[in-house]
Amino acid sequence: MVKLNNGYVPETIDEALAIMRDEKVKPYSGGTDLMIEGEEGISYLFLNKIPELKVITQDHDYIKIGAECTFTDIEESDVAPQILKDAISELAGPAIRNFATIGGNIGNGSAKADSALILFVTDSLIRLRGADSERTIYIKDFYKQRKQLDLKEGELIIEVLIPKRYLKNYYYKKIGTRKALAISRVSFAGLFHEENGVITHLATAFGAVEPTIVRHSEIDGMFIGKTISEAKSLKDNYVNAYDNAMNPSAGRVSKEYRKTVCINLLKDFLGVNGI
Amino acid sequence: MEYIEFKLNGDNMKYEGDASDRLLDVLRDTYKLTGVKCGCKEGECGACSVIIDGRLANSCMIAMGSIQGSDVMTIEGFSKTERFKVIDKAYGDVSAVQCGYCIPGMVLATECILGKNPHPTETDIRRGISGNLCRCTGYNSIVKAIGNAAKEGEGLW
Repeated sequence: MVKLNNGYVPETIDEALAIMRDEKVKPYSGGTDLMIEGEEGISYLFLNKIPELKVITQDHDYIKIGAECTFTDIEESDVAPQILKDAISELAGPAIRNFATIGGNIGNGSAKADSALILFVTDSLIRLRGADSERTIYIKDFYKQRKQLDLKEGELIIEVLIPKRYLKNYYYKKIGTRKALAISRVSFAGLFHEENGVITHLATAFGAVEPTIVRHSEIDGMFIGKTISEAKSLKDNYVNAYDNAMNPSAGRVSKEYRKTVCINLLKDFLGVNGI
Repeated sequence: MEYIEFKLNGDNMKYEGDASDRLLDVLRDTYKLTGVKCGCKEGECGACSVIIDGRLANSCMIAMGSIQGSDVMTIEGFSKTERFKVIDKAYGDVSAVQCGYCIPGMVLATECILGKNPHPTETDIRRGISGNLCRCTGYNSIVKAIGNAAKEGEGLW
């Protein structure tokens, strides 16, 4: 571990967690959001030199991505899922992707975070550790409100666990105002899986629409166990349910615009899957 | 006194300032490397591009503490290389430089594009400079220059 003037550069997770417990520090990953604010006199805990946090692995059930993996690391990985790579490829520009990390993107707590949308639609898990604690929770539970996370004092995001099932047939669209360096106006991701003509999995998530990413698994559940033709007859009910459930925030664009785009994306996702 | 050890254009440095200091400011103010330009200070324009450990970086978004042990190259260091000579000539040949403010960043982005892929398509090139803005809007010439540099510098990357 290297101690700097107003900063620490730990080499292991344990060292980082001990500093989190004992000192008043702000975790620093890629810096690509933090440095916009550029707070003076702050003491940073630099996490970008911890090898344990920079690995991408998989087991039977999950793809596991260390919190300090940059978006370039993920784009270049053979293990990372394509849906995530697609989302990342439209995130900022090359220099930012080289330093911005998945842990930082989540830790920022924004509903516009492009990687977080993918973690929502895939019902991914987040592994958190403190000096004397460890827990793994669903990302949906991690995001409580805008910029409010279920992150306890002294905890760090260690890795994300993406369930491998159902990743193959996906849909992703980001609506921004330019091809690079765009902040999402609306983003949408969907997963669809059928076996022998019966829908076994359908998941959707909307980013940049409400204070947190929108994921209504109870509405998506309407289609589970149904055939495509049964799903077609339920389509209007399904779309109406989303229309009622969604309450977009006004911001750079109006509520009405956001709602219309969301419903159009939802219908397009159903359409490409034959519903 | 604690200090940050890193490599700058091949030389070993010890920076004694604050870990939260911005690399862009340190390069320009402490080390007088003014080829690194300040455009937006929020990662939007790429004028402050440098190469850190082989990867293109916006130096406005890098705190000094995060480069402890890293290798930083600015346009001043890169301009001493053979690759630079090829890129320099390619930009000149097609008049890709107008006001010049974005060019140090564009040149380093070019180096990173060709370092990753010595034979880039036009799409690869445009994607590779997508974080570098040229307010003179001279993109087509820059894209052409990068394509020409790839051909002229065959074997260098």
